[in-house]
Amino acid sequence: MAIEKQYIKANTIEDAISEAANNSGNFVFLAGGTDIFPNKFQENNLSDCLIDISNIDELKSINHSDDFLVIGALTTLDELRKNDFIIQNFPTLIEAAISVGTPVIRKSATLGGNLLCENRCHFYNQSAWWREAAGHCLKCGGDICLANGGKKYCYSKFVSDTAIALISLNAKIEIASKTKTEIIPIEEIYSGDGINHLKLDETSIIKSIQIPLNKTVKSVYMKLRHRKSMEFSSLTTSVTLFKDEKIKIVLGAIAPNPIIIEGKKGDNYQDIIDIASKKSKIVFNDNYSRAYRKNMIHVFLNRCFVELQLIEN
Amino acid sequence: MKQICLIVNNKHYDILVDEHELLSTVIREKIGLSGTKIGCEQGSCGACTVLLNNKSVLSCITPVMSCDGAEITTIEALAENGHLHKLQQKFVERGAIQCGFCTPGMVMTAISLVPTLDKNESPEKLREQIKEGISGNLCRCTGYKKIIDAVIDYTLDKPISEISKSNNSVSQLKTVGKPRPYIEAEKKAKGEAEFADDISFKNALHCKFLRSIYPHAIIEEIDLRAAKKLPGVRYIATGKELPITFGVLPISQDENAIAINKVRYVGEIVAAVAADTEEIAAEACKLIQVKYKPIKAFLTIDESLNDAGDNEKIHDYGKFNNNIHKKAELRFGDQQQGLKEADISYKMDFDFEGINHGFTEPHASIAFWDENGLTIHTATQVPHYLHRALAKVMEVPLSRVRVIKPYIGGGFGGKSDPFAHEIIVAHLARKTGKTVKVRLTREEVFLTNHGRHPTKMTIKMGFSKDGYIQVLDADVAIDGGAYGSFGVVTTYYNGVLLQAPYKLSNFGFRTYRVYTNKPQCGAMRGHGAVNTRFAVESIIDDLSYKVKIDPCELRMKNFLDSNTITVGQYRITSNGSRESLQKVMELSDWENRFGKLEKGHGLGVACGFFISGSALPIIWNELPQSVVHLKLDFDGRVLVTSGASDIGQGSDTMLAIIVAEVLGINMENIFVLGADTLLTPVDFGSYSSRVTFMAGNAAKDAAENLRKELIESISKQKQVDKLDFYFENDRIFTNDKSVDLSWLEAVEILTAKRGAVSVSGKYISPKLGGDFKGAGAGLSPSYSFGACVTEVKVDIETGQVDVVNIWGAHDCGKAINPLAVEGQLEGSWHMGMGQAVSEQMKYYKGMLLNNNFLDYKIPTSLDTPDINSSIIETFDPEGPFGAKEAGEGAIHPVIPAIANAVYNAVGVRITKLPISSEDILNKISENELFNNKIIQ
Repeated sequence: MAIEKQYIKANTIEDAISEAANNSGNFVFLAGGTDIFPNKFQENNLSDCLIDISNIDELKSINHSDDFLVIGALTTLDELRKNDFIIQNFPTLIEAAISVGTPVIRKSATLGGNLLCENRCHFYNQSAWWREAAGHCLKCGGDICLANGGKKYCYSKFVSDTAIALISLNAKIEIASKTKTEIIPIEEIYSGDGINHLKLDETSIIKSIQIPLNKTVKSVYMKLRHRKSMEFSSLTTSVTLFKDEKIKIVLGAIAPNPIIIEGKKGDNYQDIIDIASKKSKIVFNDNYSRAYRKNMIHVFLNRCFVELQLIEN
Repeated sequence: MKQICLIVNNKHYDILVDEHELLSTVIREKIGLSGTKIGCEQGSCGACTVLLNNKSVLSCITPVMSCDGAEITTIEALAENGHLHKLQQKFVERGAIQCGFCTPGMVMTAISLVPTLDKNESPEKLREQIKEGISGNLCRCTGYKKIIDAVIDYTLDKPISEISKSNNSVSQLKTVGKPRPYIEAEKKAKGEAEFADDISFKNALHCKFLRSIYPHAIIEEIDLRAAKKLPGVRYIATGKELPITFGVLPISQDENAIAINKVRYVGEIVAAVAADTEEIAAEACKLIQVKYKPIKAFLTIDESLNDAGDNEKIHDYGKFNNNIHKKAELRFGDQQQGLKEADISYKMDFDFEGINHGFTEPHASIAFWDENGLTIHTATQVPHYLHRALAKVMEVPLSRVRVIKPYIGGGFGGKSDPFAHEIIVAHLARKTGKTVKVRLTREEVFLTNHGRHPTKMTIKMGFSKDGYIQVLDADVAIDGGAYGSFGVVTTYYNGVLLQAPYKLSNFGFRTYRVYTNKPQCGAMRGHGAVNTRFAVESIIDDLSYKVKIDPCELRMKNFLDSNTITVGQYRITSNGSRESLQKVMELSDWENRFGKLEKGHGLGVACGFFISGSALPIIWNELPQSVVHLKLDFDGRVLVTSGASDIGQGSDTMLAIIVAEVLGINMENIFVLGADTLLTPVDFGSYSSRVTFMAGNAAKDAAENLRKELIESISKQKQVDKLDFYFENDRIFTNDKSVDLSWLEAVEILTAKRGAVSVSGKYISPKLGGDFKGAGAGLSPSYSFGACVTEVKVDIETGQVDVVNIWGAHDCGKAINPLAVEGQLEGSWHMGMGQAVSEQMKYYKGMLLNNNFLDYKIPTSLDTPDINSSIIETFDPEGPFGAKEAGEGAIHPVIPAIANAVYNAVGVRITKLPISSEDILNKISENELFNNKIIQ
């Protein structure tokens, strides 16, 4: 029979990291569990050890200094919505958060967890039996990608909606590992490889998300989806205009990682849209066709620019 | 294993759990609180919602270890001392409960939502907040409207409404026509109604299936050795043990419970394991080695039309050299001549994806054998046909099979065939001598399918220049998947159900059904007629722009009258087409708004009709279509027994209302026992919208027979004339008051020296229809009619369609229970909207890509507009108190009404379903009508 399954409750970051080291290669950190359990149900996640970090209090606070808003990684998406400071300063983060899943999911799902949400593809998010019948794809141990006609590169879809909004806001992420704690731009944790989309040491823990204060003029957020609830993204866009007239354009769900374009006020916006479109790596892996999603990059970015009053409608 | 402590509904439990076990499993199976439902197992339906330390969570994706020491509140905790919580009460009162499967999760979600709502918000904003708040809970029955109403009532603490107030005072009827909650609504609200998976027996074995990974392959070898060695495995069955074929139609007995020699779709059952636990059974399935030899797969209609090579045919039987299963053809009048003479003619192609019923309760069955033979509790709409199929495949006399229908979490046609899993658990129970239980995962439910057929069609219509239909000719191909199911009926229905609601003289069709290597298709709400209805309503709409006649007026011109015969000899009795259309025109302010909205914003209209039960039985025999027994004993209670299946549509309540009405007694004196083939007389089941008409009539007949018995005994005892008796308000009296008895006094007279009295009532359809081959298809003693107007907003840059309003009216003859009828209508319109804008079965090489509720897109509460429903009453002369069907017909008009609204908004004619944003976008750019604003 299978190895005895384990559940470990970590009460401190140090505990969590050391338990992780003890179970290296066979564990997963558990916060809200809303991404992990569907993946476990489909046997895409076979970790025998769950390390529950949801009790670590120091990961739950929301504070701000003069320069940064610091959101603990275990803050749930629902809690973001209720925080007045965030409502006032970063409404797009809230828009992003409430575009995730469903209301009940957002009560459990955490911001840190959403940033680490596993990439998706309709050849991957299937039961073990289905994946066997289809012939395993690259992301589940096979030799070729089924979504892009047999290529050797996995283009699973990056689906964290909050990441797109946060990266656009130049947010940083505080990561604790065995040896150090570092603060890096969020985009740096994504590898661009659809199979392992994270560049994080497996035992490291996200402590907080830090958003610079008083830097932005306005930020906008949009998500393409079929229904108004219960949907992963088919295209997420967030564009922020900063006070120094720089613009940060971030797109999700069109490649294995966020697509980022930095520009400035007065740029040729059509060129930016074309670059975004060229950078996208859309394959047939969700409900909409490739052509449509590509087409929507133009529409969505255009709308973002209009909303930021960078161009006229 | 670890021991943890849970405080569930204020009670301490110390329990041993597996460290990765889920909260839902522990609540249901270890603690035994089965009110918490499992609908998807992946956090995408909301049925398992419970409160964890007062916060709502999805228990199917919550690890129980994380709940150690926590307080869990389940649906069972809400009612106190037997009294419903006020919120539950509102759900009951408002008719927010139909099948009741989503109810516990919905109530738990609402209970944690309400404190966060701002009561001072405007009603519209409050509605929006509630829609948002429940948007993670799928309901397939109600269209959410009544649920939202219930939550609003509770939030604003609105007083309990008096049910009788809204009643039509002119009516002579006391019970019929009054809106009332289902008789079992409280039980469902409390989470106490037992669905198939909630039933537990001691020492039951659990069954899991190994399913084919090839769409079409020869099974060369099955090696069970490793699987059999697994401790806890009790039996493994393979196909050759069940050699007898079955199927719902006598002419399509083409299915084996477990594949023998070859598999015909990805997902077909190849072996079945009975083991001590579900986990062991699943593990054993993985150890079974099967050697397949793949053969050519046929995955589309076109592929299946081509000649098939040696041994490539999906089924050997059948007279064609390809994979055509059935061809049907009928013609009336002269279509060629009609087309020649038409001033305006149309030829349009349409293409529809298949869709699934999406009922929230997955299939489940539990079977055992004892001295009485086989007993099976199973989620079925038609115990009677399953009874026959089980007797046939198990090779036992009919008298050795008992099928019991528990509460059913929605059917919509998807639980109306005898199913492989039902036969397999019966077989495994016999082989092991133990009770065997199976429950399907959501993925397996999708693989079992039997949903709406993917369809391709070419429709020709000809019109006079003043808009009269001169000819209708249809060529329809449907993709049946791997087995027959109801397919032969579907094939006919696609044609014959075009002969109303409009007058036709030249009418014909050629329809055929092909086998493909995909899960089989069958009957789904609006069976067979939904897609062809869409085509005809689209063409009529198109014509209206061409001839510049308002689309409503065009329809009014062409409607059939009441009391007429259609071209194919359907007898139309009452016909509320005109009233229905008139009603939705008024409510939508059609005349002032149509054609006057801005670009991207449109109104559309369509009509429809449907049968009220098939006049012919599926299996030819001379039994009445429905029999109802009543037993009246000394206590004054009337026991109604009927084989009709209440699957959430409220048929048990309908029977009780009818009996109460005829006998003039209170509903509290009625007890309904439904759908147990040992205890209840045969009813053919819940399909073809037959129950109100047929079982309702049988109940009425039975109650009238009981009335006669009462009159007989009372008049004899009191020596009065039999003619002059009245049954009202729990009293039986004559005008001159020579008799004036309470119900119990009357019962005492009847039962004196006789004891309990049993009477029977029946319904037999009159002989109907023409004398030609195919004349029987779609024959019904009565037909329902209806109309819808919808309003859409189309985003002209993304092509996305937002349905912002639905006004629907449906002629159900007489609403026995208006609350239930509204619920059926709202549910139909919601389901139709799903087919129109978001639902489809997507396949990749024969494998279903979207086999879960995340990717199979049933509209959520946020996607569904507030549906405005109107009941039209036309009093059918043969229906019970004038009633006709209300469960299916309403779905027909809503789908084309949405597509026609899209045309009105952006000038794009929809010919494929679901409506694709991409198609709209591509067509907008090349659309002259739109660019030149001609349509507006």
